[in-house]
Amino acid sequence: MKKPKVGIFDFACCEGCQLQIANMGEDVLSVLGSIDVLEWREVMSEKWGKKLDIAIIEGSITDPHAVKRIKQIRKKAKILIAIGSCATIGGVNGMKNNFGLDDIRKYVYGDSYRFFPTELTKAVHQVVKVDYFVHGCPMYIPEFVALIKAALQGIPYYPPDYPVCVECKLNENVCMYDRQVTCLGPVTRAGCNSWCINNGNICYGCRGMVSNPNEKGAQDVLAKYNIPMELILNKMNMYNKCRELT
Amino acid sequence: MEDMQYVILKKERFNDFISRLSKMQKLIAPVSKGYNNFAFEEVSSGSDIALKYIPTVLPLKKFFMPQRETLLEFKMAKGADAEAVVELEPMTIFGAHTCDLAGIQCLNMVFSERPKDYNYLTRKNRITLIGLECNEYCDEYASCHLVNASFPGGGYDLFFTDLGDYFIVHVKTQIGDEIVDVTGFFEKADVSHMNDLERLRDHKRKVFSNEVPIESKKLPELFDKSFRARVWKDLDERCLACGNCTNVCPSCYCFDIRDELDLSLKNGVRFRIWDSCQLEPFARVAGGINFRKERSARQRHRYYRKFRYSVDRFSRFFCTGCGRCTRTCMAGISLKETLNELIKESEDRVWKKWL
Repeated sequence: MKKPKVGIFDFACCEGCQLQIANMGEDVLSVLGSIDVLEWREVMSEKWGKKLDIAIIEGSITDPHAVKRIKQIRKKAKILIAIGSCATIGGVNGMKNNFGLDDIRKYVYGDSYRFFPTELTKAVHQVVKVDYFVHGCPMYIPEFVALIKAALQGIPYYPPDYPVCVECKLNENVCMYDRQVTCLGPVTRAGCNSWCINNGNICYGCRGMVSNPNEKGAQDVLAKYNIPMELILNKMNMYNKCRELT
Repeated sequence: MEDMQYVILKKERFNDFISRLSKMQKLIAPVSKGYNNFAFEEVSSGSDIALKYIPTVLPLKKFFMPQRETLLEFKMAKGADAEAVVELEPMTIFGAHTCDLAGIQCLNMVFSERPKDYNYLTRKNRITLIGLECNEYCDEYASCHLVNASFPGGGYDLFFTDLGDYFIVHVKTQIGDEIVDVTGFFEKADVSHMNDLERLRDHKRKVFSNEVPIESKKLPELFDKSFRARVWKDLDERCLACGNCTNVCPSCYCFDIRDELDLSLKNGVRFRIWDSCQLEPFARVAGGINFRKERSARQRHRYYRKFRYSVDRFSRFFCTGCGRCTRTCMAGISLKETLNELIKESEDRVWKKWL
């Protein structure tokens, strides 16, 4: 089998998910052994610019230039994989959408703001078709590897569609709510093996929400623990603001 | 009681016993995780062990049917180049309460049905089980008496009962007998010890009683009449479908089987992982049809699996009364409350018939 031609591209993000690839230790050799990376700005200086079998996209789409660029990449790539919260759900960049776009531009660029056009932050699939999603901030390496395998075989990859609580319980963590701490695990899509809670942190909802949450039930639970709805919404919006866009 | 089968272990020798036991093979016991949470974990000394504990986050099934277990290793070459795999690690589990022993008895029945599950059965044969009696209720969530699991009913090699200065220990199997012999910390039980045990059991018979107002043998009949009960609708509104209730259940054993290739796409493994009937994709089939789409249908199914279907198939309840499902539920869905609602609803129906 010929190795697929792969390009790795970044948009608005911290480039931490690309770093995850570079950081994955021994697995990186197997991954790089099974694909042919032709463009990856963070790691190599070569440019490719031609047709690709797989385009891996990190970061969210935040300005007209990015819209144009992602559309070009999509045209050249047979398969498009979005990695990391910024690309899959908009992520923290979505917080921009809480404000007026001009206010944001003035705040960041001062008087010369007119030279910097901007748009509402969007996840990649809100602009072009995405074939595979690797959620998370940063993405979880074992899931990335599993997904690469699926892409190489040409089969779909389904991220779990149940809450982080499932994996957290399997790891026998003490529930954050038992510790009187608010955690977004109950409404957040699993697949990270409850990475944060295993290490003593709460779930911030970086993988996006489960597709069919029981909203009424969730509200009752918040009431039971005396947690105001507003607090939870604020916490959720840190990563999930872009869900409001269609 | 045949006192030949009973020995005692003085409390001052308990730490020595545990140290010795942990050197024989991997030793598992309940340990505290803080915030009144406990877990079965590896221990090497008596001081690691929480002798007074409420049921652990996960039950013993995590050792008998691991969360992820390889069943088969295969090569993608032509022909069936595959080899069956049984992953096992001999271990001793100390401190299993009667509810958890009952859970293992349930799993034994399930996996002994034909076709037998050799992965489970081979592993089970390498696990030594030492029980520990509950002298009092652990908390208000337990309903072990209702399902006949509040007193020891077998399923162990040794069974410890704390009687103050010493443990009285029931020796049930040859493996248990060997542990008593090899460790050498035990003494013969005499009549006074047996009387102490009898006094504790008398006390327990007063403390433990059916936790919901129904005779156990009437439970299957109650469920026969309750398929369309209002309470399922109520659970539909409350359940978050997180699957915690089944993951923590000692008798839930549903699993999914998946194949996974390595990155060369030449070699692969087939493995099984825990699954839960409470999760939305569980009953989703080709064509996108889901035959238990509503959370109410999924919750109802869970209760029927514990109190109705298992009675036909295995002549026992598959609820062991440990209370884990209630303790763990974020939405506060309570097994005892649900049963109470079912009882109340069925009584209402009887009255309506007469009015």
